[in-house]
Amino acid sequence: MLPLLSIATFLPILGGLVLMALPDRSARVTHGVSIGVTGLTFLITLAIWARGIVPGGFAQIEEISWIPAIGAAYRLGLDGLSLPLVLLTSLLFLLSAIYSARVTERAATYVVLMLMLETASLGTFMALDGLLFYIFFEVSLVGMYFMIAGWGYEDRQRAALMFFLYTLLGSLPLLLAILGLYLSSGSFDMRVWIDAPPLTGIAAMLALIAMLFTFAVKIPAFPVHTWLPAAHVQAPTAGSVILAGVMLKFGTYGLIRFALQMTPEAFTRAGVVILVFGVVSAIYGAFAALAQSDLKKMIAYTSVNHMGYVVMGVAVAALATDPAMRVVALDGATLQMISHGIVTGALFFLVGMLQDRAHVRDMGDFGGLLGQVPWLGWAFILSAFASLGLPGLAHFPAEFQVFLATLNAQPWAVVAILAIVVTAGLYLRSVAAVFLGELNQKWAAMPDLDRREMLVIVPLLILTILIGVAPAWLLNMIHTTMASLSF
Amino acid sequence: MARDLSFLIPEILLSLAVVAMLIAEMARLARLALWIGLVGLTAATLATLPLLATDTIVFGGTYRIDLLNGWAKLILLPGTALSLLLARAEIAGKEREGSVYSLLCLVTLGALMLAGAGDMMMLVLGVVLTGLGSFALVAYPRDDAATEAGMKYLVFGAVTGSVMIYGLTFWFGGAGSTLFADLGALDGKPLIAIAGLVAVIVGLGYKASLVPFHFWAPDAYDGAPVSVAAYLSVITKTAAIFAFAQVLRDLPTGSGWPLVIALISAATMTYGYLAAVVQTNLVRLIAYSSVAQSGYFLMGIVALGVSPLAVPGVIIMAAAYVAMNLGAFAIVLVAGRHLDDIRGFGRTHPIAGVAMVVFLLSLTGIPPLFGFVGKVYLFGAAIEAGYLWLAIIGILNSVLALGVYLRIVVPMYQAAPEDVAGFRNSPHPALIAVIGVTSVVTLGMGLLAGLFPG
Repeated sequence: MLPLLSIATFLPILGGLVLMALPDRSARVTHGVSIGVTGLTFLITLAIWARGIVPGGFAQIEEISWIPAIGAAYRLGLDGLSLPLVLLTSLLFLLSAIYSARVTERAATYVVLMLMLETASLGTFMALDGLLFYIFFEVSLVGMYFMIAGWGYEDRQRAALMFFLYTLLGSLPLLLAILGLYLSSGSFDMRVWIDAPPLTGIAAMLALIAMLFTFAVKIPAFPVHTWLPAAHVQAPTAGSVILAGVMLKFGTYGLIRFALQMTPEAFTRAGVVILVFGVVSAIYGAFAALAQSDLKKMIAYTSVNHMGYVVMGVAVAALATDPAMRVVALDGATLQMISHGIVTGALFFLVGMLQDRAHVRDMGDFGGLLGQVPWLGWAFILSAFASLGLPGLAHFPAEFQVFLATLNAQPWAVVAILAIVVTAGLYLRSVAAVFLGELNQKWAAMPDLDRREMLVIVPLLILTILIGVAPAWLLNMIHTTMASLSF
Repeated sequence: MARDLSFLIPEILLSLAVVAMLIAEMARLARLALWIGLVGLTAATLATLPLLATDTIVFGGTYRIDLLNGWAKLILLPGTALSLLLARAEIAGKEREGSVYSLLCLVTLGALMLAGAGDMMMLVLGVVLTGLGSFALVAYPRDDAATEAGMKYLVFGAVTGSVMIYGLTFWFGGAGSTLFADLGALDGKPLIAIAGLVAVIVGLGYKASLVPFHFWAPDAYDGAPVSVAAYLSVITKTAAIFAFAQVLRDLPTGSGWPLVIALISAATMTYGYLAAVVQTNLVRLIAYSSVAQSGYFLMGIVALGVSPLAVPGVIIMAAAYVAMNLGAFAIVLVAGRHLDDIRGFGRTHPIAGVAMVVFLLSLTGIPPLFGFVGKVYLFGAAIEAGYLWLAIIGILNSVLALGVYLRIVVPMYQAAPEDVAGFRNSPHPALIAVIGVTSVVTLGMGLLAGLFPG
């Protein structure tokens, strides 16, 4: 059996190393390598999908001894929580590589950083060793820092610095929690920590608080979300897509994999507090987005809103007494991660395309573009409707399940549904401002999407509709694991 | 006696090399002295390998051939070889070149004595031997700055050394023996234990540049040749940390030394990084950063005897620190001593630029680099010993560290000033070798951490 997980994880960075060794590193060759490597990685993750997962544990495990003295090993594996995220990651990196083909400034370095980020992201979702997980988790910070600092917009240095310091401060408590789990179990094997949570009582609560801090920064949940708008606004488009589509999921993935599964008792005890943070994030994110006129900032804040629903789902799962409702909440939360990756990824791509054309992204600067650039316009409208939770599109089945479980277990928390109304309002307002009304004559020569851009956006739109109309293929995968999750 | 000598082959080889180097220098054959030094250090390193599993004492218990001493040799001897190459790149063709090489090797001999000290007199001998050579090395350029730095270093060294010797007499009086192994007799005599402890902290704390005995370090590093600063920042410091481990693991914890060391650790790393944030001189910035790094080492010392992660942690961190700090100083030799000199360096020297980023991120403790592995062990040791608060301070300081090191990384990738861009020559081959070796170690050993003792 080929170690497909390791191949998928390290193929991107190997591609990056090969690229550095090439004598000809023109933009054309560079982007050819980039698309080739990310495309191949995507195909490998499809093969991983074909191999399948098993209920009640991890599948396709690959294990090599690493630091035997402290029980750390190179361990990779998958379940129904990580497999959808792996597929989402490899897809978004492929699309980002295609979109980035127009980057000519220091193209080789840019591509190497992107490929390094892909390795880090895939590794984060597949690692089954606490130390290995932390390594991948942190390497992604370094890659994103240089991405923003090197290819971002006007105020990029400050934004990159803030991103790096903020998220490093955020992730170091996780290291303490991992060390705590290690010292009480004698191993870094995450399966050991999940099967028999080693910490109890006050130690478990301290570890949970450390982990919640780390993941709340990453998710990002109110009130530690402040790095996100700055980083998003300054990051290059592909950076924003990866940041929102993939890296925010580190937070919610960790919330389930670490916080919920490794300190379940403490999580249940703190469940109401976590739920409150989820509800506040959802509502705050929506209102903050409503206040923005910068399209990119607006979408960045809707991420706070959408990820708030994920937090709610996980908290409700911990609080629910009815096992069926637990599964519904976790299914919904996990599906929400995927939906958010696809829909927000598409929105950031579209805003990037708009900015490539107009070099501004304030919604007041546009107007009436639907007739001028119908493809771009309709793609934005479809994604916006998906993002506000319209039935038949990707977010609906996810948010429906989260709210269903919330109503059942903690009815008061359904107040978060208010946020959906706000989101609907802000998206309708932005669609009206940018695409409807009188055409702003400044943009009378704006071209519609070209072939490369279609190639990027169409797969995401198809998935948006597919998950909305027929989510079963994806939900079954998630459900396999969630139905047998013990915590 | 003959049995004892067989355990000392690495030290003997190094001593012989020093003598041969001095003879070569007398004949004005500086290049030959360099080669003798490199060969001697390599031979001594290889001679250490078969002794690594040994755990014994020689000369009536005054010198320890154990895990710490063995790894000290494996780390400090190659580290010295790299320092010789750095010195070669900096002072090739200058007068008294060979004396620098032989002094570097002589100080390393003293460093090994510190790392293997099993007796108070051996400790004093190590402190004096490393001290005398270092004063001369710092003052080598014979200009005002170097002379002042050398004087400062000497005066500080003389005072702290005397205090240490004075304080050690309390332990001798209390325990009735100069052997550390007999320090257990101080259990129940806390006042005497503390008197000696304070003295050792003064003497070794000065060597390891712990707060508040660090004042000499930035001035000495800045006045000395860069290669000497690099050498002092890694070799004598690491040796002093190992000496701390040798002394304190025998001292009864009833004297409260773990808490004292923990407080110094917290103060050292916090002060070091806070002071580094405001520096504009690259050498001083790295000097303060290496003050802070000493604080991290002490997290392992605190947990000695309590956590099985403590000794491996100190060893791994030492290996990582020697590689990454020497690498960073090598880049300073290429780029220049001032923060402004490094502007645009990453663009004019792409490979050396990436190497510098690797060194600095490793110093911060970003995985999967070597420095990260060391910090994981040290944090783990501190938590296991019940010093969670110290680990939290360590973590907060890591964020501060990132801020410090990004002050170097950010200008490296800004556009280079016009007048500088054309003037940068390709680095000396010896520097390329040092940067190559240290960056491979910093990048690769994190993944091969299984090679180290558990």
